[in-house]
Amino acid sequence: MSGLYGKLLEGLAALAAVLLGVTALAITLDVIARNVGLAMVPWILEVSEYVLPIATFLVAPWLLYRNEHVRLDVLLPGRPWLNHVSNAAGLAVSAILVVYGVRTILNSAQQGAIVFKSVVFPEWWLYTPVPLCFGLLAIEFVRRFAHR
Amino acid sequence: MTWWVAACLLFGSLIVLFAAAVPAAFAFLGINIVGAWIWLGKDAGLIQLVRNAVASISSFSLTPIPFFVLMGEVLFHTGVAMKAIDAIDRLIWRVPGRLSVVAVVAGTVFSAISGSTIATTALLGSLLLPQMLARGYHPNMAMGPIMAIGGVDMLIPPSALTVLLGSLAGISISELLIAGIVPGALLSAMFVGWIVLRAVMNPALAPTFEHESLPPWQRWKPLLVYVVPLVMIFVIVVAAMAAGWATPTEAAAIGAVATVLVAGIYRALTWSNLMRALMGTAGISGIILFIIVGATTFAQILTFSGATNGLVDAIQQAKLAPWVVLGAMLVILLVLGFFVDQVSMMLICLPFFMPLVAAYGFDPIWFGVLFLFCMQLGLLTPPFGMLLFTMKSVAPKEIQMHQVWHAVTPYVIMGVLGLLLVLLFPPLATWLPGVLFR
Repeated sequence: MSGLYGKLLEGLAALAAVLLGVTALAITLDVIARNVGLAMVPWILEVSEYVLPIATFLVAPWLLYRNEHVRLDVLLPGRPWLNHVSNAAGLAVSAILVVYGVRTILNSAQQGAIVFKSVVFPEWWLYTPVPLCFGLLAIEFVRRFAHR
Repeated sequence: MTWWVAACLLFGSLIVLFAAAVPAAFAFLGINIVGAWIWLGKDAGLIQLVRNAVASISSFSLTPIPFFVLMGEVLFHTGVAMKAIDAIDRLIWRVPGRLSVVAVVAGTVFSAISGSTIATTALLGSLLLPQMLARGYHPNMAMGPIMAIGGVDMLIPPSALTVLLGSLAGISISELLIAGIVPGALLSAMFVGWIVLRAVMNPALAPTFEHESLPPWQRWKPLLVYVVPLVMIFVIVVAAMAAGWATPTEAAAIGAVATVLVAGIYRALTWSNLMRALMGTAGISGIILFIIVGATTFAQILTFSGATNGLVDAIQQAKLAPWVVLGAMLVILLVLGFFVDQVSMMLICLPFFMPLVAAYGFDPIWFGVLFLFCMQLGLLTPPFGMLLFTMKSVAPKEIQMHQVWHAVTPYVIMGVLGLLLVLLFPPLATWLPGVLFR
């Protein structure tokens, strides 16, 4: 189970990695096309803006799984209870953001908000990675409690 | 609630969360949740928090960050960086403290193609440190330069954290990136001067050894093959931004793709090391950007609670001399650098500092470079200096943490000297962007 779970988180991180690589390539091709007078693809730069939050939310649970999020750990040695405090705070934050992530999506969908730039799509799409990311983060914080 | 009660509440809780080892990103989000509930309208405030979380990192100005990181990761994972360092190693002969000087020069060159300070330190540390210790170098001579030059990476473009500073502070990213070149080179020169001086005064610190003798072509060829193309990438990235041919994002994307191509031409690229480089990129950028998720809301809460205006007004009404205000800001940054990471430093300080910079008429580019200096010193100062831990993790087991601190001390002092020089002679920071952009 934990192997599968680790693979899932790593898979999401790999998806983020590939998205970033493809975006670099797409922007470079766009610049070349513009400079040799070929047709420009106006939505590439706009889409690259959305890649950043998607990649960040996809990779965050994997980073927590690997304990790579930056934290001040000088007080930790000899105080194992501090880890519980830290995990509890992380779990509370993640749980609240799952609830409010879903509410933001529903709220935006109800209003029928649309993103109107070169690419047109319902605004709530932008917020879907939020509850997914914080849901996985919440699971990871619970898992940390269980492992202590 | 008066502004100072709000400010004490917000920063007090932040300190508690940081001290409890809550990851920085979650500490900011936790404060944001409470702050949004109190000052941004309860339920609506929390929905705003989610919207801001996405908006904070959906910014075109932040897109160079992963690309700059990718440049360094590709060179690191494909082994091209090692070949470049070896090329520099072949050229620097008959210099006192030779390997330490090689570390500084190679670090400066690698900084110019890598956007990640940690990658630079890890690379030089794992590559040159064992060699130096085996040759009888004193640990101070061996570790100090490697950590110090890792910090300088932040000043020399491309630099992921410079992009972030420009984006969050509303300073021109292209100009800020280029403004770091002269101070970065100045620091590198100071480091080389110090190493040579120490090695001349006390040769036992860095014993000289016979270098295998090579015909001139054998010495110069690796430079042409492995270093010149990488320096060309740096020149193209900087020139494209300076000439206005490309935005920082486009220049960074081109730099990243060019680095992959160069690694391919050397036949050093495989699917597996490209994927490792991309995963490393996603990881390092993710660590930085996930903290930024809370940036917009944190700044809004500081504004709506009255903390920003209250503090800025109080400082202005105190009629302090501009240099006192500037000095105080830099001291705050240096002190914060002891305890918090660079991204958190920006989140905490910029909402207060940028209005003051505007009110007192400080040149934002100059201030940006001073800010970068303080952040790079924060990488080198215990207990939370990231590069100290990076060095400890790649150093042999017998090296103790206090030896790492001891090794870096002279370089921290030189960093402070460099900061004072830029403070006293602003053109060190503003001259180059002035020539290229105005």
